[in-house]
Amino acid sequence: MSILVVLLSLAAGAYALAVIERWAVHGHLSLTGPAWAALALMGRESLLARKSDRLFFELGPVLLLVAGLMAVAVIPLAPGLIITDLATGALFLNAALAYVLVALIMAGWGPNGAYAMIAGWRFLGQFIAYAMLIVMPITAVAMRAESLSTVEIVASQAQLWNVLYQPMGFVLFVVAAMGLAWLPPLDLPDATGELAGGVEAEYTGVRLAVLRLARMVIILALAGATVTFYLGGWLGPWLPAWAWSAIKILAVAAAMLSVGRYMPRIREARYLALSWKLGISLALANIFVVGVIALVVPI
Amino acid sequence: MTIAGAREGAMYGIRRAVAAAMARDLTAFVLPGPSVARSMGIDLANAHLRVVGTPRHADVLIVVGPIPDGLRDAAAVTYAQMPRPRAILALGAGDIAPLPDADVSAPLTRAGLADLRRVIAAGAFRADSGEFNAPALEVRVEYTCPMHPEIVRDAPGDCPKCGMTLVPRETASDGHGGHGGHDMPREDRPNPADHAHAGHAHDAGGSGAYTCPMHPEVISYAPGKCPKCGMNLAKAEEVESHGHGHGHGHASHAPSAHGDHAGHDDKAGGSGAYSCPMHPEVISDAPGKCPKCGMNLVKAEEVESHGPGHGHGHGGHGGHGKQQDHSGHDGHAGHGGHSKATIDGIEPHFMSMVEMTKDQPRSSDGLQMDWIKVPFGPFFPGLPAGLRLTLTLDGDTVAASDATSLVGATDLMDGPQMRVADFVERLATMMPLSSVSYRALACAAIEVAAGVEPDHDARRGRAAAVERERIASHLNWLAEFGLQSGFLWLAARAGALQLAVQGADVAGIATQAGAIRRLSRRVQAAPLMRMRLRRIARIGNDAPASGPVDRARGGGSDARTGDPTLKDLGFEMRVRNGGDALARLRLRCDEIAQSLDLIAAAGMIAVPQVPDVDRVSGEGEARIETPRGTASLRVKLANGKVVEADLDTPTDVNIALVETVTAQQELGDALSAVASLDLSPWEVRG
Repeated sequence: MSILVVLLSLAAGAYALAVIERWAVHGHLSLTGPAWAALALMGRESLLARKSDRLFFELGPVLLLVAGLMAVAVIPLAPGLIITDLATGALFLNAALAYVLVALIMAGWGPNGAYAMIAGWRFLGQFIAYAMLIVMPITAVAMRAESLSTVEIVASQAQLWNVLYQPMGFVLFVVAAMGLAWLPPLDLPDATGELAGGVEAEYTGVRLAVLRLARMVIILALAGATVTFYLGGWLGPWLPAWAWSAIKILAVAAAMLSVGRYMPRIREARYLALSWKLGISLALANIFVVGVIALVVPI
Repeated sequence: MTIAGAREGAMYGIRRAVAAAMARDLTAFVLPGPSVARSMGIDLANAHLRVVGTPRHADVLIVVGPIPDGLRDAAAVTYAQMPRPRAILALGAGDIAPLPDADVSAPLTRAGLADLRRVIAAGAFRADSGEFNAPALEVRVEYTCPMHPEIVRDAPGDCPKCGMTLVPRETASDGHGGHGGHDMPREDRPNPADHAHAGHAHDAGGSGAYTCPMHPEVISYAPGKCPKCGMNLAKAEEVESHGHGHGHGHASHAPSAHGDHAGHDDKAGGSGAYSCPMHPEVISDAPGKCPKCGMNLVKAEEVESHGPGHGHGHGGHGGHGKQQDHSGHDGHAGHGGHSKATIDGIEPHFMSMVEMTKDQPRSSDGLQMDWIKVPFGPFFPGLPAGLRLTLTLDGDTVAASDATSLVGATDLMDGPQMRVADFVERLATMMPLSSVSYRALACAAIEVAAGVEPDHDARRGRAAAVERERIASHLNWLAEFGLQSGFLWLAARAGALQLAVQGADVAGIATQAGAIRRLSRRVQAAPLMRMRLRRIARIGNDAPASGPVDRARGGGSDARTGDPTLKDLGFEMRVRNGGDALARLRLRCDEIAQSLDLIAAAGMIAVPQVPDVDRVSGEGEARIETPRGTASLRVKLANGKVVEADLDTPTDVNIALVETVTAQQELGDALSAVASLDLSPWEVRG
């Protein structure tokens, strides 16, 4: 039952995100736009590139979708409203999203096109930038909750949300999440002006629809993770728990989608350098500070 | 009624819904590009369609104006890459061949778009959809010798040099791979611009060309070094004389193809019989052809004499001795069987990657990778439309680059003599990105030639018109930069302001001035902007450059400095230090601000009027500072007609910088670097 509810809310959320993305990219707000666009994609030819690696080409988008769905499985929307409350939920999320890298490299390699291939390998470089910064802030979150279960993590924030308890971790996690979901300004693998669509460049029709849906699910999963880890999950006054989850997740996702509109894309070399030299030092400092606070002032 | 690019299938049920959905949600790819469209005053942003960066994601091809001859092939490839159903909307009259006839020819108005939507909703599917064919899409199968790539024949047969059976391969009918901005293969028909081929120009035997003896895919029209191995390029004809070089090159890339022959050389030497140079295990007592590859069998002794102890598989390359004459070959000893070096613990015939690549140049990141040649343009989002930029990528680092204009070098005159008004009109239309400047230039040159002096007001008005175009052009550049770098707010805002400024009067510009100044402040202060552009595309003071590119390196020249009219208006040359892409961005913002002041001071804008020259003869030259730099025009009048004209443009100077600013840069940086030069391919006189 809860699986069905989660999946339905996921579909609704993905649609809402598509509306926001169209606004962020093309500048017009249209509530029905994504529905027409999806229907139009169904009717378009789904081309297969010549000399493509058929297996990788077909599997890339599907694997991406599967990775997103697996990540969603450990996001609690309300008490009891979660697909599976794993004892290692926070780590499972990270493990599931590791397949994003695999899927993107497959999608980049598959079509036998230079733009897509470069894009796929670019994402491999990007992985090196974001991977540590996803795991290390989660470590600090788990330290406070004394559990890796996402439900426990939400419960641990009843007194004070983690965004206030460990703001540095919050910032690092959001930036890393945006890198994982290749959102602007960290959209190196599908940079329109540099690679004409990159990994998406060779996909058309139904396959493109799957790829875009998968991306939306991943963004939702990451927004859900941000809310779970830092913004108190379903916690909040007056409104029912599920409503708080929905509001917070959509707000975070909208912010992540639109911030890139106001700045140029980062340079890959600088991104890697900053992530390692600055990001990892800050993440270590964050773990240390959270450790000290957890020992001294138990809240 | 159906569209020319309808998808196959009967129009019923769900397909009607799909067609209706497509008509509502149009995605468009613009030819030659959004920047050209904006310069012509076409407002794509408010047309309620989504402009996308790749034809793969578009269902409408918007063609702006007639397609220049140089872009026809690329246009055909672009159209072929769009998934069906696909429609064509032609804005403005003109020939759009080889594309099929436009489904709708109308201006980009509400009515025109409504027409387009109706046509798509009604005719997106058709039971028998026709094929789209254009010369650029035809794939020709040609036959070549695996050992002698310079041998290319139209029909199967044997190689005249070695007698091997020629093998078929596909090539574009016009002989060059990789045209078009988006060389992506298609499912249902062979595409010449297949990525697999894009980098490897097929006409290896091209007459008069230079090629690398080791890398036959490297072709240059001038002598030089191979970008892959640094060897001196040899004339294509010359290479024939030691065609074995090619063989080595191939063997090194596909060791498995030959690996199974290793060690057979000793057998071949045995009987004094005939043997195949490629397949030493083939031994025959009588002369004849090899059953495996069709080569003429050679006497076994002959094989031996070429390469004692290492004849395996490579024996057929013959004439190794010749290689010693070419010092450049030494570094590649590891390629062939004639390597004397053996390493302990490794079989003598082991092909060492280290040895093979140790002398090749390494890119700045120090990694050795396969090189691929990737075409960007002529319709690439974020690069100037009409520019074909070919980057040879070593991983994601640019190892070599080539920028060619596909729309430049049109004759200034369309006949032995032209009426003055026609000449001015022709020059202005030739330069769609800065037509006012070139109109002013043509008028000024003719005035000098005819000895006519325009009055004070005409001068002021004309100067202000050029300044207005400078604002619009720099805003257009900002919009393109925004598109390229994913700074979409900038792309939208600068594009809208460009359209508002273009053609506006003094009052109209004054009302936009505040917004323009705010935009330019906000661009410079945007997060990540410094990081993105600083130290990118640095140009030293010794390289020739023109316009903002020149003045952004702490000096330079501006044709406006000597102009008394502009001096009266308070003009002072703006300069920025740094010589990098960031300095250029800042300088363009400065120039926008200054042009706003100049227009306000002039108080009037007048598009240059063609001077009245009644049967005058004479010669004259004029210079003008276009938005991209100094252009100069010399004209000769005879009896009131233009009989001779000669033009120098800023892009002609700046396009030579592409190689410098992209060398050894990461791909994204290289593209920013090219964009920062603000080239107009239309200006290339080559």
